[in-house]
Amino acid sequence: MTKTVAVPKIISTHSFRGGTGKSNTTANLAVLVARAGWRVGIIDTDIQSPGIHVLFRLQESEFRHSLNDYLWGKCRIEQAAIDVTMRAIGDVHEDSERPRLFLIPSSLKTGEIARVLREGYDVGLLNDGLHDLLKRLQLDFLFIDTHPGVNEETLLSIAVSDLLVLIVRPDQQDFQGTAVAVELARKLKVPEMFIVINKVPQGMDADALRAQVGKMFETEVAAVLPLSTEMVRTASGDIFCNRYPDHPLATALQTVADRIARL
Amino acid sequence: MPPTLDEVELLIGKMKTAAAPLRDVLRELHARYAPVDEGRVADYIPELAKADRRWFGIAIATPDGQVFEVGDSKQLFTIQSISKPFVYGLALEDCGLEHVLSKVGVEPSGEAFNAIVLDEASNRPFNPMVNAGAIATADLVKGKDYPERVARLLELFRKYCGRDVYIDNSVFMSERLTGHRNRAIGHLMRNFGMVGEKLDETLEIYFQQCSVLVNCRDLALMGATLANGGVQPLTGIRAIPQPYVKHLLSIMLSCGMYDYAGEWAYRVGIPSKSGVGGGIVGVIPGQFGIGVFSPPLDAKGNSVRGVLACRELSERFGLHCFESGFTGTTMRDLLTPVRG
Repeated sequence: MTKTVAVPKIISTHSFRGGTGKSNTTANLAVLVARAGWRVGIIDTDIQSPGIHVLFRLQESEFRHSLNDYLWGKCRIEQAAIDVTMRAIGDVHEDSERPRLFLIPSSLKTGEIARVLREGYDVGLLNDGLHDLLKRLQLDFLFIDTHPGVNEETLLSIAVSDLLVLIVRPDQQDFQGTAVAVELARKLKVPEMFIVINKVPQGMDADALRAQVGKMFETEVAAVLPLSTEMVRTASGDIFCNRYPDHPLATALQTVADRIARL
Repeated sequence: MPPTLDEVELLIGKMKTAAAPLRDVLRELHARYAPVDEGRVADYIPELAKADRRWFGIAIATPDGQVFEVGDSKQLFTIQSISKPFVYGLALEDCGLEHVLSKVGVEPSGEAFNAIVLDEASNRPFNPMVNAGAIATADLVKGKDYPERVARLLELFRKYCGRDVYIDNSVFMSERLTGHRNRAIGHLMRNFGMVGEKLDETLEIYFQQCSVLVNCRDLALMGATLANGGVQPLTGIRAIPQPYVKHLLSIMLSCGMYDYAGEWAYRVGIPSKSGVGGGIVGVIPGQFGIGVFSPPLDAKGNSVRGVLACRELSERFGLHCFESGFTGTTMRDLLTPVRG
């Protein structure tokens, strides 16, 4: 396949609190977008609590470099990228340019996590890295998995994104936090933003919830995802959409992915 | 305690800066000129010769406090002649325009910066950017005694940089030990009554002002202060009365780049001042302060990489002060984050 998007797009997924299923949703969306025939990258900017690599069953021993190495000037950003096409999409010829999926992990070493927290880093360098990734890996889409809450890498991700996906659970604490994220995103003039409501228990009125949340934040709700026992059982050990492609959750994720691919 | 609105705005500003495409342009500029290995590092005093010829930093600051930096932008170096316009501003504030004009002219000299020559008719040094003029200017800095005059000098640079500044003592000692030519210039002016009886003290002040340690980011902020009508963008503190800013900039445009000043005004058209430490400060009124630092100097005494970087910025973004009808992308356009 030789299709290319004119301008590569950056998508940030964010949730104000932990446990919303943000990494899971990001990984699934990235896989689904790649599957549609695109070159896709996922960067784990959750330096304090990295985790998205687990969904791709990546071992720390498979990391050549990490985002941390790049921020400390030890490598170029693309050197930290791991090609996960085979394990996440499968059945793709080794030489074919598309689809392709890359993961740029953050370090899992306690000392390196501590160092970033202690010393901080140049947030401008992170921006340079994101743009270098788009260019050097010739990506069509780059997904940024951010740390929950508000910190520098989160804000930078929002500032450079074409689309911000806010993940919330039907929970008052999530709602309050999301108001903060929405306000910051508007200040940072993110061009497009939508909300995905995740882990919605059976029996809750999805349409009413969609309307309520949409009105609360004056932001579109793109999907209401059901709380799924299969997802819980997967225990972040796999990409859900790969294992249960016909599950209603997978179908709902697919509609979001289709929308992203049309950006 | 929840952050105040100001803190949120500051954080948002920082992110916009980090995400602005201008960063990419500066990186590209840096990558293009970093390999240029021409010029000589100043070595008239041993301390200056210690500079690494590979050092190269570029910084740009805006009047609203955005700062863009690439390369060795935090490397300290001595300000040298870049101090001259800023101290001239202090003299204007202390003594007023007419008195200062009676002591120091504003004509480009065509002579070397360290020439021992005064205007024959008026006995004034030609302008405040040549050593003679800078010494006469330093003589005008007020204070009840030497320590107070030095303290005011440091306070001046503190206001422009928005941080504490220090003097490199070994450079200062070397400057005063080897400053025979500057002493000669001083005594010639003393002979004509163009400097007062505290000449020795004034020479010390002059050597001190040349030895102030700054980095490229400081230069950009000093430039942005002048671009902002005299108010430091980050602190909001006024460093110079607004009416004097235009006089500083005029002199920087006509005399700021040693013997290259004429061609600089012609080609680049950015009021600028360079120093033998390798720094150049440039001012785009109302828009930007530019700081460039790289120690190797060309035959005229200006930073080789600094001149190249400023020339490209000026041509590419229409920054020449007499530019009009420019239709290309401007540096201002590059302040807004682009997506993807």
